[in-house]
Amino acid sequence: MSYSHLKSSTYRTTIPFPISTFAGEMVSNLFHSPVHIFRCALLLGLTFFIALPCFAQDWIRTGTGLGVEKVRLAASDFKATTQDPKNADLLKAFNDTLWNDLDNAGIFDMVSKSFYPLQVPGNPSEVRFEAWNGPPPNASMLAFGDLGVTANNVLVHGWLYDVKNTASPQVLGKQYTDSATTEGARLIAHRFANEIIFRLGGGVAGICESKIYFVSDRSGHKEIWEMDYDGSNQHQLTHLGTISLSPRISPDGSRLAFSSLNKSGWDIMMYSTELSRTVSFPRFGGTNLSPTWSPDGTRVAFSSSRAGEPNIFIADASGGNSRRLTTDRGPDVGPTFNRKTGSQIAFVSGRTGLPQIYTMEADGTNVQRVTDQGYAVSPSWSPNGQFLSFSWFRKYGAGAPGANDIYLMDIASKQWVQLTHDGGRNDFPSWSPDGRHIVFQSSRSGTEQIWSMLADGTKVQQLTFSGRNSQPNWSWK
Amino acid sequence: MEANAEIFFEHGKLGRPLALSVGLHVAFTGVIVLFSMLPGRRGDIWGAGGGGEAMGVSLVSTVPLPASPIQTQNVVANESKGLTKSQPQEKQNEPDAIPIPDKTAKTKPKPVVSASKAKAKPEPEPETNEIPYGQGGPVSGPYGSFSANGAKGGFGFQGGGGDFGSRYAWYAKVVRDKITENWLKYEIDPNIHKANRVYLVFDITRSGQPTHVQIEQSSGVPSLDNSAIRALQRIDTFGPLPPEYSGSKVTVEFWFDLSR
Repeated sequence: MSYSHLKSSTYRTTIPFPISTFAGEMVSNLFHSPVHIFRCALLLGLTFFIALPCFAQDWIRTGTGLGVEKVRLAASDFKATTQDPKNADLLKAFNDTLWNDLDNAGIFDMVSKSFYPLQVPGNPSEVRFEAWNGPPPNASMLAFGDLGVTANNVLVHGWLYDVKNTASPQVLGKQYTDSATTEGARLIAHRFANEIIFRLGGGVAGICESKIYFVSDRSGHKEIWEMDYDGSNQHQLTHLGTISLSPRISPDGSRLAFSSLNKSGWDIMMYSTELSRTVSFPRFGGTNLSPTWSPDGTRVAFSSSRAGEPNIFIADASGGNSRRLTTDRGPDVGPTFNRKTGSQIAFVSGRTGLPQIYTMEADGTNVQRVTDQGYAVSPSWSPNGQFLSFSWFRKYGAGAPGANDIYLMDIASKQWVQLTHDGGRNDFPSWSPDGRHIVFQSSRSGTEQIWSMLADGTKVQQLTFSGRNSQPNWSWK
Repeated sequence: MEANAEIFFEHGKLGRPLALSVGLHVAFTGVIVLFSMLPGRRGDIWGAGGGGEAMGVSLVSTVPLPASPIQTQNVVANESKGLTKSQPQEKQNEPDAIPIPDKTAKTKPKPVVSASKAKAKPEPEPETNEIPYGQGGPVSGPYGSFSANGAKGGFGFQGGGGDFGSRYAWYAKVVRDKITENWLKYEIDPNIHKANRVYLVFDITRSGQPTHVQIEQSSGVPSLDNSAIRALQRIDTFGPLPPEYSGSKVTVEFWFDLSR
């Protein structure tokens, strides 16, 4: 018996892809009327513009380590091993955190939980390979384990299995213990996720334990705040009661440099995350803004107007031995070191009118302009030293059709690509330590908030929701 | 008085102007011929390719749209129009037409042929497993396959008793993906479409760094060899070797053919 009649009626309802229909119509019209030549030219131009980002993907994916092919990973809910009443809460916190961490990593194609077999494994003996490596889950990797609370401690066993390789499936087997609190469970989930990302991501450490520092006016004044990389655990660090801006965490995470307004004007301040208070840093006089750390943590560069015009200065981490790097008249602000070598500094200068991005050696020589037009600010150098991300009005001026968006530039070839497209003012990009993510400030939701995205511009998500939050800075590890 | 009076009292002297005219024409033609024969004075041919600002435009019947960056397996939401076409609408008989019994008696109703049946699919070419002599790659054991924009090849691991690649398949995948990601195709000379097989050998240390990158057999195309070497130099680490693996390094043999 033939079923061909059934098939044909099933496929008749296939929805045509809108762009291809549009293109087909345009091209067929072309031969009917010469008027459509213009339209066709427009279409050709459009095609070219669509094709451009595809070429760009090649170098972006190389530099950001965001993989061409993603690993299909299943992460089943962990099982409880004891009867403790706390288990349920901790399991929920643990499972949610682990899933989010792996999903945010940018290198996995997460298998939706609705595809999982009904019986999920809690330990290696319960893994049924054929249920995972074939459809519907069709996973190549499986993360699973168990969690149990005994007394005041939580004990977690986690495994990562290569389910396509039934002969020697184990990639990872780990045991963690911490205090039986939600925080403890989250921390363990972060560590386990980091371990998985490190293994499968080609030796690049995960960012699940990294922090983001930012400015928030939730307390009534602009103060420096801290949060986890996923937006949880937000808390205030400084209580100066004035205006504090541009937080920059040191590479070892022990000190936070920022600029703050006090009686004598804008000064560079230091906050110790170990002592939880501000520590002394010399006051130079004039307006001192936008500090930044060298990757070895021994030097601080900043903008200072003590010699008249705002210029870039460099000093030791303690503030001693300060000297001037730029000597031009135009205002120079926002320095940032090449995070790979530490031998170059990118900064913003208004020496030719509107602010543009420049680079120079760390001793102030070999100044080169990077951006060719518009209004470019807030440079941030990627951890591998290959890219600069910055905020750019490509067309700037009254009535210009420009928007303020985040751009990425390959510093050697000067080719760039636009990362944000969704409106609002997007500013202050900052790289994650793995070079796969960028955190930035955007007003697309109505007010200034902190958002994060993958370094190719995808997977955009909002991290802060209350008050006005700006100027994020991602920790170095 | 003479019979035929001379009304043209003055004869036009045509000789000189005619000679002048002919002379000028000959001279002019000569100049043009000479000018065109002068070496290095070839004028630009209008409309020719590579003529500075001019460019050739040819109309095409379809515009190749870029492939969607997100490949979906969903049957409903992809760009394919499907394998089958909808059936043509049946023709309605006009109500006025009265069938003549003699003529319609013997005709059978034609079976409706669906579009998918009518158009036979071209037979897929049978895949051959034959490997031409000398092109089979090393026989050192299980190896992973590798494919990136026109370059196809494979790699094998030496070390760990010969079964590294199968025991740590996930690590082999990491190695393959990292090389693929870091290989910039634009570094290869665009005029090269085919090249001999290239063999590369490198070690991965315990901490995951690629070292001792060597070309065992060159393709004869320097830009292709260099692009493969640069891809490996661009990689800081593949990640530490699996902790269960006891050796201090793994040797990877990696080969590929370029054909685009």
